[in-house]
Amino acid sequence: MYTQFFGNFLLSKGAVPADKLVDALQKQSSTYLKLGTLAIHAGLLTAADVDRIVIMQTHQDKKFGELAVENGFLTKDQVDELLSAQKPDYLLLGQILIEDGLLTNTEFEDLLQEYQSSNEIANLDAANEQKDMVDKLIQRAFSIDDSDVSDKVVAYLNLLFNNIVRFIGKDFTPLNPVLKSEYLTNYCVTQKIEGLFNLNSGVDLSANTAIGFASRYAKETFTEFDEYVGAALEDFLNLHNGLFNVNMSNEHSIELNLFPPMVHQEETLSSEDKTYVFPIIFPFGTVNFLLQL
Amino acid sequence: MKLDEAKILIGDDSALARKQLKDVIAQFGGSTFVEAKNGQEAIDMFKAEKPDVVFLDIVMPIKDGIAAVKEIIEVDPNAVIIIVSSVGTQGQLRNAIEAGAKDFVQKPLNVEQIEKILMNHFERS
Repeated sequence: MYTQFFGNFLLSKGAVPADKLVDALQKQSSTYLKLGTLAIHAGLLTAADVDRIVIMQTHQDKKFGELAVENGFLTKDQVDELLSAQKPDYLLLGQILIEDGLLTNTEFEDLLQEYQSSNEIANLDAANEQKDMVDKLIQRAFSIDDSDVSDKVVAYLNLLFNNIVRFIGKDFTPLNPVLKSEYLTNYCVTQKIEGLFNLNSGVDLSANTAIGFASRYAKETFTEFDEYVGAALEDFLNLHNGLFNVNMSNEHSIELNLFPPMVHQEETLSSEDKTYVFPIIFPFGTVNFLLQL
Repeated sequence: MKLDEAKILIGDDSALARKQLKDVIAQFGGSTFVEAKNGQEAIDMFKAEKPDVVFLDIVMPIKDGIAAVKEIIEVDPNAVIIIVSSVGTQGQLRNAIEAGAKDFVQKPLNVEQIEKILMNHFERS
């Protein structure tokens, strides 16, 4: 889960431009972690050690692990342990950025240390880490215009990220939210909630991204944008909003009305209410989650 | 009645939701389905097809599932209607049961729950 926030952390540090980060995130599903990355993370090798071993590799046709052992950087047991230990997802992102020439091993080592200490990752379980991430995103979204954000909106967004993890997958990175007075949609599904408070929600994405999103949601492989792909987007939003209504009913005795989803294609959404856009990068593309309050 | 002899009406505005529910019911032997895309279509289809069981979503365009339950029960007070919805709030549950629905399934679909409901109303085929 840590990947989700590590990408956001890199952006906030200005360590990587957003478009390059998107490229790197999309490579994640087809890339494997290297021993050098794992060893830096475990504190067994420094970035300089890794650089030295990589240079050795250019002269000798040997694996990184073999050279590390032969040259006394690591023991055989350490190599085995690194390979078998559980590997945090965010390391892969760092490795891809190194391979793309966007970070050096040393920069990665420093960023990793800063990220780990600022988030006290060692002491956080996944649920807390996700909550922390959502809290920070919410702070960033609503500091844009100094709006007072209600605990209902916080609950809504926390549930949204839970449902994204539950129904789509945890391999995503949220970019910083933006506020728009007008929003031009791609393929967009919106759904209104009305009652004691009103809220309009949306999912906006390209046709190709929709195919990826729908395949994950329906656990089927879609290859073209058909009726089922469109329905999957509506079902995700409807399910999420329905579960939100259930929570509001159970926890706060607030009964809200849910309206049928609506589709907007290349339409400008404008309303008196500003639109908060939460862009989320998945390996299959970027999905914009929309919120009008 | 055996499930494989039953005519099953599924009313949901989502083509995917209809397909997923059909796939689950088919696992237990259901094979004859009719479909409706909104509450009004479900009422019309109920009158025309006289299904043995009706599965209805709540949030649908034109006419919602609760309104459809009421009208179907007016046509046939013994109709077996199961609500399948993501909005399983206490209020909606009460509305559905008061309208005449026999059961309520909270989405996302849970195969065991659907099986249990089917077996309450039909013999295993």
